[in-house]
Amino acid sequence: MRTRGLALAGWLLVACAEDDSKLTLALNWKPEPEFGGIFEAERSGAFEKRGLALERTGGPGAPVVQMVTAGQVSFGIASADEVVLARDRGGDVVAVFATYQTSPQGLMTHAARGLASLEALLEAKGTLAVEPGLPYVKWLEKRYGFGALQVVPYTYSIAPFLNDPTLSQQVFVTAEPIAARRAGADPQVFLVADSGYDPYTAVVITRGETLRSRPAQVKALVEALREGWRGYLDDPAPANARMGPLNPEMDAEAFGLGAEAQERLIEVANGALGQMSEERWATLAQQLSELGLLAKPPQPAASYFVNP
Amino acid sequence: MGRGVAFALEGVHRSFRSEAEGEVVALAGIDLAVAAGAFVALLGPSGCGKSTLLRLVAGLDRPERGVVRGIERGPGGASATRARSEGAARAESGTAPVAMVFQDAHLLPWRDVLANAALPLELLGLPAAERRRLAEETLVQVGLADALRRHPGELSGGMRMRVSLARALVTRPRLLLLDEPFAALDELTRMALDDELRRLWRAAGITVLFVTHSIAEAAYLAERVVVLSRRPARVVLDHALALPAERTAALRAEPGFARELGVLHEALRRGAALA
Amino acid sequence: MKRALTRIAPPVVTFVVGVLLAEWLIRALDVSPLILPRPSAVWAAATGEAASLLPALGATAQAVLIGLALSSTLGVAAAVALAASPWIQRAFYPYAIFFQIVPIVAIAPLLVIWFGYGPRAVVAAALVVSIFPVIANTLAGLLSVDPALRDLFRLYGASGFATLWKLRLPWALPYLLTGLRIAAGLAVIGAIVGEFVGGGGLGVLVLGAMRQQRTDLVFAAVAYASLLGLALFAAVGLASRIALRHWHASETER
Repeated sequence: MRTRGLALAGWLLVACAEDDSKLTLALNWKPEPEFGGIFEAERSGAFEKRGLALERTGGPGAPVVQMVTAGQVSFGIASADEVVLARDRGGDVVAVFATYQTSPQGLMTHAARGLASLEALLEAKGTLAVEPGLPYVKWLEKRYGFGALQVVPYTYSIAPFLNDPTLSQQVFVTAEPIAARRAGADPQVFLVADSGYDPYTAVVITRGETLRSRPAQVKALVEALREGWRGYLDDPAPANARMGPLNPEMDAEAFGLGAEAQERLIEVANGALGQMSEERWATLAQQLSELGLLAKPPQPAASYFVNP
Repeated sequence: MGRGVAFALEGVHRSFRSEAEGEVVALAGIDLAVAAGAFVALLGPSGCGKSTLLRLVAGLDRPERGVVRGIERGPGGASATRARSEGAARAESGTAPVAMVFQDAHLLPWRDVLANAALPLELLGLPAAERRRLAEETLVQVGLADALRRHPGELSGGMRMRVSLARALVTRPRLLLLDEPFAALDELTRMALDDELRRLWRAAGITVLFVTHSIAEAAYLAERVVVLSRRPARVVLDHALALPAERTAALRAEPGFARELGVLHEALRRGAALA
Repeated sequence: MKRALTRIAPPVVTFVVGVLLAEWLIRALDVSPLILPRPSAVWAAATGEAASLLPALGATAQAVLIGLALSSTLGVAAAVALAASPWIQRAFYPYAIFFQIVPIVAIAPLLVIWFGYGPRAVVAAALVVSIFPVIANTLAGLLSVDPALRDLFRLYGASGFATLWKLRLPWALPYLLTGLRIAAGLAVIGAIVGEFVGGGGLGVLVLGAMRQQRTDLVFAAVAYASLLGLALFAAVGLASRIALRHWHASETER
């Protein structure tokens, strides 16, 4: 009994202590083109050659921010507004790499309705299916008002959209519109970014403590990701083939169309992939503060991220 | 009506299918005739079919073979039209021909004493004021005038049994069937209720069939004792007791009483030994 | 008065000690508020956000109460039908069990498809989840009616309806109330899961709080939901004591 207790304590200690080269990265969704660069970096050995043993974990519904804060995983994927909110609550998470320079979040409606803009969509009658609590939904409500819209929870299925011509729903530009089109619908998509709310998305986060204690590793990881994303942008097919078996709901064509749809949201004209600016973070923090989502005043922009 | 036959069983057979024992014959050819106004005790070993016989007389059950004749039996017996017309007459007068008292008082715990006693009248369709009056009268007769608003949960076993008796008598039955009613009570209460029952019997002139497994109680209460054998039950002894009409506590000490007890005891033993 | 104190004091004391201990431990171990908020933070959210928590609680409570009203009436009706004959029981009871085992998370989207978004689907979810204990317990009560009393009713020519109304249903009442006690808590769960898909009430509030990293608000919403469940439980207990006050009076006198 006593030896078993000691063994358990020992295992816990080992599990908590982070192996120097062993790293974990928690995804916040199923393998999809939004993680293409990660899978490409795995495939091409970008992590290996920098001496990083990266283990992927997580999935839909994983509490990534909590997992990173608790030290259960070394890195995770979140969106920039989650980072600002988490830091406001006292969590010490920092962004190190931004996959999307332009947010792929949007609202999808039926083209037959002839709505010309997001504003028109939100003023019209109908149903809007979005995850409760999304900051950009609050933004849109504040900016345009929801008028006669009935707001209901979005449950990650496009079936309600396909069955209801007056239903609009949240989308990731790389996923749902493509699925809807292939299911025979004629969707029209409006990017939220175009309305002025544009957080970095699919951001790689880590603990402040990890940054302080192992900066070289973090830098190596970011460089590996950069390499992976470069490779994925040049040719998404091999990484897509890797992700396919892990996400049976999407076929090769869906992966291809998704990768294509997101290119312009990721690519940078000059500079390196994934880098972030203080100005964008300051704007975001200010917007969230004005929406009343922060308990304390916004932190200095530089505290939210680093470009290793 | 006169002193005719209250009910009669002729060649009555009743058997049951039970999971444990298969086909079980409870009553094998019972012949029994009881005069109106008589007090008959039914004695027999446990499980011999006394309760089954009682239910047949009440009309709650039908025999497989043989006939149960009665002045009027319960709704399970007489033809439907006759029962319905009789039922209408009963509803107006608040009478029913048969009443039963069981081993436990079996009162409705959510009703008070008065409502419990009035239940048969309620089921017959008597209006509320009328049935409350009749129920109160009967409860006074059994000595419960002070307990009308109490609930069964507050009463002792003896008092609950009195309510059960009142409930049985409230419809002025011609036939009163009792199935070991005082078996669960203490000795003193039991003796008091024995006397009570005889008093009520005398006053109302009803026919009483009293099932018991106590020889002493059978001898004390009844004019006539029928002893059944064990299953399959037959009549072992049908004996008119040689005892005075007035029964007092002193009677239990007299030699004549002991002699009758002996006769009954012997018959019981014979019946228990029969195959 | 003293008896009420001896009944209430122990759980209250346990609660207070537990809360103080949690507050100290969380502070001492420096647990991140994103993972486990301090009781004082939960309290702050519960009171500070009352403006959004109370209407949400109201919406959920309304759906729960309607759902419970439906599951009581439909449940009792189903139990009466099932008690009619062993054949009917054998034919249909297994399908009543379906309500017990179906995972509400899985059929909530179906309920939304059938009833549309909003309170109707939430009421349906609360109903589905809470009806089986009512059916099962009421049926047990109906089947356990004293056979001697059934004979008595037959002896006086009582109709089937009279026997049901004056004997069998009152007899089954304590069983029904036991079933309701269980059903009440389940209805709260069902309603909140229904709200995850159908919208409104505490369910949506919890999802939004999680999305915004407001772990303290999540706990506060859970506390409100628990209070709702507790209030319902106490209400059924009170109804029980009132309805059954005569049944075991002899015990209370001691």
